[in-house]
This record gives sequence, C-alpha cells and structure tokens, in this order.
Amino acid sequence: MVLASGCREQQDSLAPKSHQARDIASLFWWMMGGAWIGLALVVALLFWSWKRRSRRGFGADTEGPKPGEKQGWYTVVGLGIAMPIVVISTLFVISDLFVIKTTQAPAGTTTKLTVQVTGHQWWWEIRYPGTSAVTANELHIPVRTPVRIELTTADVIHSFWVPQLNRKVDAIPDKTNVLELDADAVGRYRGQCAEFCGLEHAHMSMYVVAEPRADFDRWLAAESKPAHTPSGSHALAGQRIFLDGACSSCHTIRGTSASGYVGPDLTHLASRSTIGALTIPNDPSDMMEWIRHSQYVKPGNKMPDIKLPGSQLREVVAYLEGLK
Amino acid sequence: MTDLGYPVPQQRIGRPAAWWGMTILIASEATLFGVFIGTYYYLRFKTPSWPPDGIPDPKWVIPVILLACLVATSIPMRLASRAVAAGRLGATRLLIAAALVVQAGYFAYEVHDFLDQLHHVDITRDAYTSIYYTLLGADHAHVFLGVLFNVWLLAKLARGLTTYRLNATQAIAWYWHAVNVLTIVVFATLLSARI
Amino acid sequence: MAVVAPPRAVPEETLDRLERIWESRPGLLGWLTTTDHKRIGLLYFWTTLVLFAAGGIEALVMRTQLAEPNSHVVGPNTYDQLFSMHGITMIFFFIIPMTTGAFGNYLIPLMIGARDMAFPRMNALSYWIFLASALFIYTSLFMGTAPNAGWFDYVPLASKQFNPGRNIDFYCLGIIFNSISSTLTAGQFIVTIFKSRAPGMSLNRMPLFCFAFLAASFGLLFALPALSADTIFLFLDRNVGTHFFDVTHGGSALLWQHLFWIFGHPEVYILIVPAFGIATSIIPAFTQRKLVAFPLVAIAELLVVFIGFGVWAHHMYAVGMQTISLVFFAAATAMVVIPSTIQVFAWCMSLVTGTAIYKTPLLFIGGFIFMFVTGGLTGIMFVAIPFDQQVTDTYFIIAHFHYIIFGAAVFPIFGGMYYWFPKVTGKLYFELPGQISFWLIFVGTNLLFFPMHIVGLLGMTRRVYTYPSGLGWDAYNMAETIGGFVTLAGILLLLGNLAWSYLRAPAAGPDPWHGPTLEWTTTSPPPDYDYAVIPTVTSAYPNWEPAAAGLMLERDHEQVAVTPVDGRLSEIVRMPHESPWPPVLALGLALVFISLLIGRYGVAGIMGIACLLVLAAWHSQEPQEQ
Repeated sequence: MVLASGCREQQDSLAPKSHQARDIASLFWWMMGGAWIGLALVVALLFWSWKRRSRRGFGADTEGPKPGEKQGWYTVVGLGIAMPIVVISTLFVISDLFVIKTTQAPAGTTTKLTVQVTGHQWWWEIRYPGTSAVTANELHIPVRTPVRIELTTADVIHSFWVPQLNRKVDAIPDKTNVLELDADAVGRYRGQCAEFCGLEHAHMSMYVVAEPRADFDRWLAAESKPAHTPSGSHALAGQRIFLDGACSSCHTIRGTSASGYVGPDLTHLASRSTIGALTIPNDPSDMMEWIRHSQYVKPGNKMPDIKLPGSQLREVVAYLEGLK
Repeated sequence: MTDLGYPVPQQRIGRPAAWWGMTILIASEATLFGVFIGTYYYLRFKTPSWPPDGIPDPKWVIPVILLACLVATSIPMRLASRAVAAGRLGATRLLIAAALVVQAGYFAYEVHDFLDQLHHVDITRDAYTSIYYTLLGADHAHVFLGVLFNVWLLAKLARGLTTYRLNATQAIAWYWHAVNVLTIVVFATLLSARI
Repeated sequence: MAVVAPPRAVPEETLDRLERIWESRPGLLGWLTTTDHKRIGLLYFWTTLVLFAAGGIEALVMRTQLAEPNSHVVGPNTYDQLFSMHGITMIFFFIIPMTTGAFGNYLIPLMIGARDMAFPRMNALSYWIFLASALFIYTSLFMGTAPNAGWFDYVPLASKQFNPGRNIDFYCLGIIFNSISSTLTAGQFIVTIFKSRAPGMSLNRMPLFCFAFLAASFGLLFALPALSADTIFLFLDRNVGTHFFDVTHGGSALLWQHLFWIFGHPEVYILIVPAFGIATSIIPAFTQRKLVAFPLVAIAELLVVFIGFGVWAHHMYAVGMQTISLVFFAAATAMVVIPSTIQVFAWCMSLVTGTAIYKTPLLFIGGFIFMFVTGGLTGIMFVAIPFDQQVTDTYFIIAHFHYIIFGAAVFPIFGGMYYWFPKVTGKLYFELPGQISFWLIFVGTNLLFFPMHIVGLLGMTRRVYTYPSGLGWDAYNMAETIGGFVTLAGILLLLGNLAWSYLRAPAAGPDPWHGPTLEWTTTSPPPDYDYAVIPTVTSAYPNWEPAAAGLMLERDHEQVAVTPVDGRLSEIVRMPHESPWPPVLALGLALVFISLLIGRYGVAGIMGIACLLVLAAWHSQEPQEQ
C-alpha cells in the first residue's frame, strides 16, 4: 500500500515557513537553551552530592545543625524563589505580551482573503466565500498574503494544525475560531487534525498549498466552475453509474444531479493529490482500491466498501479521474 | 505530674470526630453545589434569553414561604443541640421531632411540586431545564438525606443518651444548618432567572 | 486509667494483652472484615500492582503498534480503548490508590504515633469501593466496550450521538464510583492528621510526609466534585436526554472541558505531591541530617496544590478563548512553578550539604529529581502561550507529563517500596539487584519518553493509532518502543527482587536506616497495635531526638485524640475493630452502579435504599468514648 509520503515531506514546527511559526520556533530555541542550563545546574548539584557521599553509613551523629545549613537556605531562596521569578517573568512578558500578538486571531481588517474550513469525521471541507468553490483536504492560498481561516466543525471537536505556518486552533461546535496563515514561500505544507475525533483521527491530514497569486487565481477560478462534462464512453458510463448509484447520495458534484453532504465535494476531485485526507495518493489504482475497500484503507470511515464488478469500477474511476 | 507536662484530661478538649467527619462531608457537598451553580451561570451567560423562550419564569411566592419554613427548623435543631449537651433527653427528642415534621412536610410538598413542574416542562427541553431540575433535585436529595438522619437519630435517642448519640445529634444539627444555607443559595440562584 | 510510662519498659504480659485485644480474625474472614490500616494498606498495594500491570500492558501493546509506521498490530477501535484505559488506569487506579491507599494508609498512623486512622471502618470501605470500581471499569474492557474517547472524553465525541455504545457510560459511572473511594480517603487523612497525632506533635513537628498527604487530601476533596458533576451531566445527557453539552439546545461543548480541567489540573498535583512526601522522607534518612528549609518545603507542598486550582485553562489554550483569559491563566501557571523550584533546591541542597548514602532508595530519589526537573522545565515552556498552542495535543505533551508522572510519582513510589520494605516485611532487600533495577528503569524511561519531545515538535499528534512513514518519526518511535521494553525489564527485576528478598533476605531489625520518624521506633513489621506506648513527641525528628516518656493505653481498642494545631492531648477514644459492613456496603454500591449502567433505574433506587439500611446497621455499633 503506497501512502502519501513525498520525499522530504515534513510537518516540522522547527522548519518554519511563516513569521508566526518562526517567532514560535525562536521562542522554543531560547527556552530550550534555558532548560538545558537549568537541568545542567540540577545535575551538577546531584553529581556534587554523589561526590561528597558518605562512606560511614547509617547511625552517624544526627543531632544538631549541620555545616552548610545556612548556605542551604540561601541557595533555596536564591535559586528556588528569586531566580525562577526573574526568569519566568521574563518568559511570560516576552511570550504572552509580545509574541502572542503575531499568533493570535487576526483582526478582520488585516487579512486579504478568507477561507472557511469545516472539520468533519474524518475530512476537511474547504470553501471560499464569495465564490462557489468547494473542495476537500487541500487548501490553496496565495503566497506572502495574510489569509484568514475561519474554522468550525460539523460534528465533534477537531483541531486545524499546519505546524510550519502557525499554531493550532480547535474547531468547536457552534463556534467559529479564526487563525491567520501567511506563507513566506511557495510550497506544499502538511498539517493534521490535532484533537482526537474518533476512529480515523490518525488519517485526517491536509495540505496547504501556497502559490503565486496568478496561479492561485487560476486555481480558484477552475474550482469555482461546475464539473467538466466527461469525455469518452468509459467516463460517460462511469458518470451514469455514479449518478444512479449510492454515490450521489453522499457526494456532491456541482453541475450534475449528485448532491450529498456526508462525504467531500468531488467536483474537482482529480485536481487533488490524495484521497481520504492524505491517506493514499490520488491515482487510478489507489482510487479503485479506495472505492472497493475503503474500510481496509481507513477502517471505520463513513464510506462503505462499494462492490462493483471490475469493468464498472474502471468506468467510475475513469469518470472521477476526469474531474479536473 | 506526668511527663506530658499536663494531666490527662477528664473531659474532651476540642471537637469530636463526628463533627470533623460531618465538616468534611459538608465541604465536599458544598463544592459540588458550587460547581452546579457555576454551571448554571456559565450556561446563562451564553444564552441571550433566560429562561429561553417558551419556558416560564420560576414561581417565587410559595417556594420562598416554604424555604422560610425549612430554614426556620434550624432553630429547633440548634436548641436540640444545646439540650442534648445539657443532658435533657426529653426536650431533645421533642425538638428534633418538631423539626422533622416541618422538614418532612416540606420535602413531601417539594416532591409533588417537582413532579408537577416536570409534567409541564420536561427536563429534556433545553440546557436551562437540564440545569434547573438537576440543581433543584440535588438540593431536594440533600434535604431527604437530612430527613433520614433525623429519623435515625430519633430511633437512637428513643433508647437513651450516650456520648455517641450526643455527638451524633450535634453533627446532624450542623448538617441541617449547612443544608438550610445551601437551599437559600440554590433558590436564590434559580429565582435569579426572573431578573 | 491511662498511665504514663517510660518507653521500652513495657512488661511482657501487657504486650500479650495488647496483642490479644488487637489481633485480627484468622484467615480470609480476617482480611474481609479488617479495619487495620496496615492490612488495608497492603490490600491496596497488591491490588494497585495488578492494575499497574494492566496499564503497563496497555502501554506496551500501543508501543508495539507504534514501533513502525502503518502497522496492523491492532486496529483503531482497539487502540482507542487501549489509550483511554491506559490513562484511566494509571491515574485513578494506580497512582492515587498506590500513594494514598497503600503508602498513606500504612504509614500515616505510624508516622504520627497513632494506632489507626480516625475512622477505621470508613477506611476499609474506601478500599472495597476502590476494588469494586476497578472491577466495574475493567469489565468494560473484557466486554470490548471500554471507554474509547480518551481519559478526558471530550464532548461531542463522548455524547450519545457519536458514541452510542456503553463505553462512555462505563466511564461516567466508573469514575463517579471510584471518586467516592478517593473522597472518603481524603476526608480520612485530613481528620486523622489533625486529630490523631501523638501528644506533643504540634503541626511544626509533623513529618513532611504528612504535610504532603494533607495537601493532596485537600486537593482531592475540593477537585473531585468538579469531575463528579461533569460526569453526572454527561451521564444525564446520554441517558436521560438533558442538554448540558448540546449546543443545539443551549448547552456548551466547552463546559465539559472547563469542569474537567478544574478537576484535572489539581489532580496532577494530587498525583505528585504524595510522592514528594516520600522523597522528603527518604532524603533525611539517607543523608542522616535534617532537611534544609523544612518550613519552606511544608508551605510549598500546600501552596502548590492551592495555586494549582487556578491554572486549569492552560489545558485549553487552543479552544479559541480571548487572549486576556489565556494571559491570566499563563500568569497563574507561572506562579505555580515557584513552590516546586523551592522543593527541588531544598532536596538538592540537603543532598549536597548532608552526606548522601546512595543506596537503592536514594538512587530512585536522585532519578526522581532528574526526571521531575526535566518534565518541569518543559512545563515552564507552557507559560509561553504561542509555544503551547504549537505543541499542545502532540507527543511533546505526552513527553512532558510522562516525565512528571513516571518520574515524579512512580520513581518515588519505587524508592519508597525499597525504603519501607524492611519495616513492612522485617527483611532487608538485596542491594545489588535493587541498584540494577534502578538503572534499567532510569535508562528505559529516558529512552522511552525523551524522543517523544522530538517527534512532537516534528508534528506527531496524540492519540493516533498509526502514522505514515517519511515524516521523520519512524526511528524515534522504534527507540521509544525499545525503551518501553527496557523499562519493563527493570520493573520486573524490581518486583522479582522484592519477592525474592521477602523469601530469602536476612532480618532487618526495627531500624536499619537510623530513620528520623516514629515508624522506625517500633518493630519490623509493626505489631497489630502499632505502638505499645503512645509516644510523646518533642521534635520533628522523633527517632533522632526521642522524648523520655509516653502514654500507656492498654484497655480495649484505645487511641488518643489531640488538639489540631498544638497537639495537646484532648481525649482517649475507643476505636471500632473489624466489621463486615464495609465490604457489604461496597457490594451494595456496586449493584447500584451496575443497575444504572444497564438502565434499570428502579432497581438502582432499591439498591440505594438497601445501602442506606446497611449504613444504619453499620452505626448500630457505637464505639464508646471514655
């Protein structure tokens, strides 16, 4: 089973590709430096106590004050109270009064584009308000543009997280949470649902594709159009099977009679690089496997195994692969 | 003179274990009610109209009168507490019985009223009804527990007075004071919906 | 009449009489009806060890599944039950009952010079309810319907709509059932610590172990109601049709989280503060000197629980609350660090300025300090809200809390097992296998948990039953799994060593460590009556600075009560001794909860009435006071 793993794909919060993620990563490196120093200090004390260890054993003279009692007090108050107050207050001020200003939800006026993301069990619905574009699991944004993500859920709590671009934000029922994405560089960034949402939480990932403005406009215009009419007899037959069968009751294909909201919108399915929220690649053989055995590929997902004879299956796949 | 530096006392200094145990119970239950009341206000402040449309405001006249009767039973319970410490068993039993009559009557009426309210507006209507009936029901349950305490106490005192039964009387009086205060707070919370 | 007598001058026939008064019934009936704090402590010990094994097996199955990407060792349904049961078991059915039920029950009366807890029958009840609740919730695992939404069960995933089976009902009822046991134990410890101390033991002469357990008990008492309310609401939503958490009818999904964490954060301090108490008992003994800054440490133990009630929303930074709220909780989180740093440096300076004896118990405490500081440093990182929002719900968090829980709670538990082994069994454990077991566990846990920091930063989220290859996570996961099995080897060696030592090791005598506190003044193991002479205490280290005399109580089951702060003798009380009612009441409560689980509310009501009748029967026996 070939899975959606490009070479050098990453979800690495320490390989930041936006100013927010960079600020958070810098914060981490400083804190980690401080942490290693703190740990080294305690390890040094433990080591020192080992060096001074007793050779005499138990029953030694235990009464009265011991040498070093006063130094002990000074160290406890100095290192245990004064030093942490200074260090932690500094950390608090820098991160919670300054850095937070870049990572918190953006004010409405600073962003240039809004994308609505809705979490479902176990896929991401993506809409562009002001257009009729609807897609799933793959979100395109123009590069170097502050984009406002408006996040909610259709069922349980999910969490939208693209570590290279910004921190995570939860999708809560009856609430719309807002996050800013602002990619520095063209590229495809991987993210994953980060709040346990049921059986296939592990297979609910997404791509954020940052591209030049012109490419983005072209993509958005294509996504807004209704579905391509199928060309070739195979694809036409496939369309017939799709529309007459159970498929159309769960999936929408704009421009046809297929209208269902349980599963993702498939109008431009062939323009996406994966199936099942990054579970498997989007190519004909994987597509056939998905339709036939989705319960093996992603057990517990809401799509049943569709038992079609091989020829019909190939026709449906031909149709779907034409939905660019 | 002993090596303690003071003689072994003839009378207990400080409070008996029964008082401590009852205080722990009251602290735990009071915290639970604190959480229920916090929940009430949390749900209230996220809801524009409270009670939500279609649900009537809670009635106040009869509930407040009944509340006053219940809270008034703190007086006989307190007097019983003093009487038992002085060894006046007959007076103690009479005072507890008097309190019990009022408390049991209060409880019986409240059960009837609770079921009647449920009949008109079911608990499954809304978040408001969910917290309303749960909070009110929890309070009634604690009154019921107090009624059971008093019944048990009268049965014990019918057989005479011992230190154990003296401590029990005072601990149960303490319980009733706490429940009465709690009921005032609960009623105030539920009636605040009228504001 | 109580007589004051010098210690160690007790005639033989007095000891025989005490033995006859206090001895337990023979055989199984003796264990079922016991109210002896030592027997109850031992019952807790063995039961929690079995549950620790269960939680450990759950962990190792998960680690086996995660050792490689795209594995098929277990499927998502099983995996979800495993991680949920692992968290529930380790927190509610291992750490809390092992520290409070086993160590607390056995040692607190001995350390304060008492013969038993303040409410012995209620103590037994705590154990039987604990056992019943453990059996209740583990039934769900054997039925394949174990809780499957994590140990924190967020709604709406835990609601009836998305989780129609019995799984979450087992969770709600099991948690409420178990919390009765913990609440009773907390109350028990508070009253005992305030009332049953030996005469002369004013609060400033009380062992730090007792301060720690007092703090944890207050924490349990005031935190558990939030969890009980939360699970009551969830049970009602699921089974009666209420709408506490249902956003379509005015409810709130975030209400669950707030109430859960109002319990959940104090809970984590409740987990580690008793272990701090164990550490502060071992350090004076194994440095043969008084602890540096004793009063600061005592206050710090109480403060950390108190401040810990104000930080809960740092578990919820990503839910979309306003920045001002987040900043408030970050400030409180910053404050809660200080009592812990006080304690860390007090321990370290005691080790440095004393002369440490690095036998097995102290090795575990050294390891504990290392692990606690590591976990605490990543905890300090969560003061930075943007960073927390990046790593919350990833393996970075799993690393943090396992360093704290395994490091700061389990390491002292292991150290304490070795430290008090001679007292409980009368045998001196074998030292070399003890030290090897420490090193295996130390290396194993670091190999297991350290890489989790890295994979969390590399993007691996929590509660995933599998992961794709090619994201750089594979090698770290394999290392973690190996670490898990190394830890297993260390734990097996530890338990095997203790068992073998019990069978073959030489006798230990009453005081092998020249320990500071009172338990080292009595025999190993202690007699049923703990102390023939109730000691008089004039120092915080009574075995190093003993008083001249004590109180002789030899008629019936007698114990002292003192004033709560000064420790002046208040009265002599007679204690109940052995009762069948605690296990009967626990059984009745179990039947109530089973009835609720299967939806038979009428039967539950009838069983509830039966429980009240048992309570009345329980109180038909009236221990008399003098």
